[in-house]
Amino acid sequence: MKKSLLIYGAGAIGRGFIPWVFDSNEYDFYYVENNFELKEKLNKHKKFISYKTNQDTYEEKVVNIKECFSPGEEKEVIKKITAVITAIGPRNILSLQEILSNTKIPIICCENDSSIPNLLSSVIKNPYVVFAIPDVITSNTAPQKLLEKDPNSIVTENGVCYIDDSVSFLGGEAKYVSKKELENQWLAKLYIHNTPHCIAAYLGSLVGVTYLHEAMQNKLIKKIVANAMNEMVEMLLKKFSMDKEFVKWYSEKELKRFENELLFDPIYRVAREPFRKLAPNERLIGAAQLCLSQGIIPENILLGIMSAFAYNNKIDEDSNITYLINSISSEDFLRIIIDLNPTEALYEILLIEWDKNMKKIEILKNE
Amino acid sequence: MNNSETLKVALKAAVEAGNILNEHNKDNLKVSQKESRRDIVTEIDKMSENKIINILKDFNSEITILTEESGIRKGKKENLTWVVDALDGTVNYVNNLPYYGVSIALLENNNPIVGVIFNPVTEELYYGAEGIGVFKNQKRIKVLDKSFEEGLFTVAFSGKNHDPKNRVDEFLKFGEINDNTRGCLRTGSAAINLAYLAEGRFAGCWGKANKSWDISAGILLAKLAGSKVIFTEESEKDHLVSYLAAVPSSWEILYKKIEKVIGL
Repeated sequence: MKKSLLIYGAGAIGRGFIPWVFDSNEYDFYYVENNFELKEKLNKHKKFISYKTNQDTYEEKVVNIKECFSPGEEKEVIKKITAVITAIGPRNILSLQEILSNTKIPIICCENDSSIPNLLSSVIKNPYVVFAIPDVITSNTAPQKLLEKDPNSIVTENGVCYIDDSVSFLGGEAKYVSKKELENQWLAKLYIHNTPHCIAAYLGSLVGVTYLHEAMQNKLIKKIVANAMNEMVEMLLKKFSMDKEFVKWYSEKELKRFENELLFDPIYRVAREPFRKLAPNERLIGAAQLCLSQGIIPENILLGIMSAFAYNNKIDEDSNITYLINSISSEDFLRIIIDLNPTEALYEILLIEWDKNMKKIEILKNE
Repeated sequence: MNNSETLKVALKAAVEAGNILNEHNKDNLKVSQKESRRDIVTEIDKMSENKIINILKDFNSEITILTEESGIRKGKKENLTWVVDALDGTVNYVNNLPYYGVSIALLENNNPIVGVIFNPVTEELYYGAEGIGVFKNQKRIKVLDKSFEEGLFTVAFSGKNHDPKNRVDEFLKFGEINDNTRGCLRTGSAAINLAYLAEGRFAGCWGKANKSWDISAGILLAKLAGSKVIFTEESEKDHLVSYLAAVPSSWEILYKKIEKVIGL
């Protein structure tokens, strides 16, 4: 019997990248997607094209799908699934609690939060929930010329998917690694990728560009992003004693990826949900705290934090950030909304740098 | 004038007033009694209120402002009124119970369209407006639907002198609801009650002849969060409003129980 995958989320990772990790000729692909329009489009054609950037060109893969469900419709098919993959965003993971409860099949969480597998495992009582790190930048769309050929097409770069080696029997093109290696990869991804990546997006939003590579074409933004990355590298070397060559290689790789002109990664996707990214142990506040703990003043990450505060997208889930930053005082905003204690160094330094960084933000806005 | 601009002003006013409450909550406060032993005011209420009034006037002096301590300041824009309670839950405040807040609402033709409630002790900031939604601090919030029997409810009784005979019925209803659900609480702050309903902690709130400045913001927030809401003016002169706000699954039973008592 052919093996089958149930993929929650037909977005950037689920549709863009997973088909390059697991082949739809080896596995039947089922998707669960809560965007009704997308679900209908996928079911109409029962296939889509995923493009992978390769030097200056695209490699093409036609992905056949068995079915795309709306959430809740997949009940029957779960019974015959080989493995589940989640790529729906950390905030949405608990929406799977009921449907996945008491399943005993492997569940691979491609979520941007390393605590998700343990959380999901404990609530659904499934011991086979593992973490995976798609070390890749994937858009949730494609440039116009590709969309004209296939409106469901999607673009990814040539990345690597690191998966916990306890599920290595699933095969495919993944890199199955130990938990220790996964931890290293996660630290690198969280701080050398996630932190500068979202900073590039928030700064790009200020100058009004649509795609991340366009933001990186702005010299000032590129400089800030590169410097933020250096702050992260310095922190990782001091705090986690990571291998210098590895972090150097990783950071150079990341800068090139951000500049990839074939990706068409929308700013709104990378910047979405700023409050999630501003959470205490996350890629902005957490990253800055770690820098300060190592005696590093993260000037560029501080500017990145401020640019996240200034993110103004009416249709974003966290669009309320705009009302708050533009109404209450900076002290109150940091204390009540960002949940920083006034005794913390980060609170103090954000306030000290507030006006200076706000001026820099205004300069960028007016470019 | 759009709701996002007025929401920002209300946020600023509520938080700055809340900061004043926090600065003074350990002070030995001089307490004055108003209508009853339960109805007290401190000099902090007035300080907080003045701060709010100044911010609202700076924004637009043509909007009428109705506050608990200062009364009504009429503005040119007849259809718009700020209703302000600079400290809802003074008894709790004076006794260091962290269940009080600042409540600010903007009414358009007597209907709330913008609302903010801020508990400065817990730093819970509830805010919302028509067309924008309702939030607590970072997060969008919504009610948690529960059956009547599973729900926890709150009541805000009418004032001692309002309608003494009817008050007996209010107390009886309170007991009846308390005994047939997870409970009915009398907490001392109608504003916080309604904010907690919007957030999903309570299943319903009802009140007889409450001051409009206590409940206007909360009524709006509860409605935006998915609560069913009804309110009726008891006295225009005294700014008294009776209301019921409840989650959909509790609504029908609760409505039937209290409609006569609160005069819906």
